[in-house]
Amino acid sequence: MTAELFVVGLSWRTAPVAIREHLAFADDELVPVLADLRRAGGVAEAMLVSTCNRVEVYGAAAPGEAAYAVTEVRRALVARRAPVPSAVTAALYDHAGPDAIRHVFRVAAALDSLVLGEAQILGQLKEAHARAAAAGTSGPILTRALERAWGAAKRVRTETAIARGAANVSSVAVELAARVFGDLRGKRVLVVGAGKMSTLAARHLHTAGVAELVVTNRSPQRAEALAAELGAVARPWAELDGLLSSADVVVSSTGAREPILTAARMKQVARARRWRPMVIVDIAVPRDAEPAIGKLDGVYLFDIDDLERVVAANLEERGKAAEAAGRIVAVEVGQFEQWLRVQKVVPTILALRDHFSRIAEVEADKLVSALGKKGLSGADRDAAVRRSLELVVAKLLHHPQMALKGDAADALASAIRQLFPLQTVEDRPSDADDLLARRRSG
Amino acid sequence: MPAERLLTVAPSPAFWAAGALYVVASVGLLAGFLRGRPQWSQRARWFAVAAFAAHGLDIGWRGVEGVHPAASVREALGLIAWIIAGGYLAASVKNRLDLAGAVLTPIVAVVLGAARLSPAGQPQADLTLLGRIHISLATIGVAVFGLASAMAAIYLLAERNLKRKRFDALSFKAPGASLEALDAMSQRLVWAGFPLFTVAMILGMIWVDQRGSSMLRPEYTAAIVTWITYAVLLAARAGLGWRGRRAAWLSVAGFVAALTVLAIYVMRRWVGA
Repeated sequence: MTAELFVVGLSWRTAPVAIREHLAFADDELVPVLADLRRAGGVAEAMLVSTCNRVEVYGAAAPGEAAYAVTEVRRALVARRAPVPSAVTAALYDHAGPDAIRHVFRVAAALDSLVLGEAQILGQLKEAHARAAAAGTSGPILTRALERAWGAAKRVRTETAIARGAANVSSVAVELAARVFGDLRGKRVLVVGAGKMSTLAARHLHTAGVAELVVTNRSPQRAEALAAELGAVARPWAELDGLLSSADVVVSSTGAREPILTAARMKQVARARRWRPMVIVDIAVPRDAEPAIGKLDGVYLFDIDDLERVVAANLEERGKAAEAAGRIVAVEVGQFEQWLRVQKVVPTILALRDHFSRIAEVEADKLVSALGKKGLSGADRDAAVRRSLELVVAKLLHHPQMALKGDAADALASAIRQLFPLQTVEDRPSDADDLLARRRSG
Repeated sequence: MPAERLLTVAPSPAFWAAGALYVVASVGLLAGFLRGRPQWSQRARWFAVAAFAAHGLDIGWRGVEGVHPAASVREALGLIAWIIAGGYLAASVKNRLDLAGAVLTPIVAVVLGAARLSPAGQPQADLTLLGRIHISLATIGVAVFGLASAMAAIYLLAERNLKRKRFDALSFKAPGASLEALDAMSQRLVWAGFPLFTVAMILGMIWVDQRGSSMLRPEYTAAIVTWITYAVLLAARAGLGWRGRRAAWLSVAGFVAALTVLAIYVMRRWVGA
């Protein structure tokens, strides 16, 4: 028997933020909390994941002590924040054994995330494990489990559509622009207005590697400030027409009551740019762009509702991919369980090998000295080698034979038949002793 | 070439292999696209690669047996199918063209099957070297135009879905090339096909003149319409900055004209006129 994995915690699935916040741990609390957890009864290894959507302890329990460890960890986790509302204790769930393994693997693959397939959780898990490793509370079982979980997560991301398509409104602009332009490197982005949403969208576009980011705003100060924040260039509002003509992607979110991007203006712009394609993302409410400009050749206009519909469609696709992802995770969990099973018998295997080697070594020494004597004939040597090997076999079989005559004879006999490729020699039990005696003498 | 040659050269084992592989690839690409399983499409693409190789072997083998790929409309259709398959595969190295694969591979399979398995008819009696070059160039030109308009058609579909904001459309969900990439590929293909087709047209006219037959057959008119359409397309792209939807429609229209030429030739074969 060796360690067993367990999980204790709560997540968005079981607890609203009002409950989760009671247990959320700040970075500087992690080391003492980890120490508490490691001291909890039955716990061999422990790590703590504390994100805005989950607070979970992953641990390895000493042999046969998973249930005890779970109780102790539940207590230790709440003790830190005592007194906590009873709702916190009620929201805590726990898993042990195969269920715990499956849970950890599903969390890593972002199948347990609020936004299916989101990318942050993997980094958060790595960080949490690194901290536990640094605090000395992680060990071989957790390390191996998490490495396998990351492998599974990587497979899930590459082999299914779970992480495909933008999952939030501010990154959809990148996806829509990519539909038109493919690679966004070398493209020019114009941010009209300095609202919060356009800032977020611009940041995503910036990450996608656009060549030029220009910000324009009615108040030049705001434009300057946003430009500085994004590493962009601020341009005066008066240049808007020219800026529109040279931009490939426009993100607009002004506070204007009347449309800025009117049909008449955009018709001019489209002509000036010779109908080169342009993507306009209008995040403002009320809208900055007149809907009619979406009909212009080469102009692709999306408003806030469109962005939300893309997100909804993407999330639906992710949901469909979750089934395939679950199958991949199940396979990987199976492989880890197999490894864990092997770990349980590794000490036995090592001890058995050690036991055999010692017997062999003693006999080998005797044999070497026996063969070293002078005046031995060839026949003497043959006999000495044979005798020595028979002695080894007899010694190896001594304990098993004694045990086979004991109480657990049937179970041991069938185990031995599984372990060795035996042929049935005689089917008569009464002759067995005769047989053994004959074998020994002859 | 003896008349029975065309009839007696049976399809090589490579032909059957190519046919089977094209069918497998088509099913995989269609299913991958329609069911939203990009990994199926990717695997199916390797079947298309194998099919293309086998198809090439078959064309080569027939050449060795004395059946020139441009010896008849029937052979030419097989060559067109081969060029389209190769063009799609080449283009799909850089871009995810799952939709293009799902459309083009079945077309290739059907064209190849129909062309090779249909009755050969009478071989062209007066096939001169000039005639062969004409048929070869025209064949390659039409195949390249075919690829160009396939890209254009996919562009039109994807563009329409994006304009109408149909985010649940398959063309939106499946990984595909961007509008700009499709437009650029289509344009490059028209540029590549146009000189070939132009030379083929000139040689064709000389050939018709040599034979002293009438210039007023409908297929000649359709060929001229094809040429003019693509000439206008290139001029409008270069001079007026036409791109996207308008250019795509012209490209498709040009290919319809080219198909008309082919259809008239095939029909003539069948009725023996």
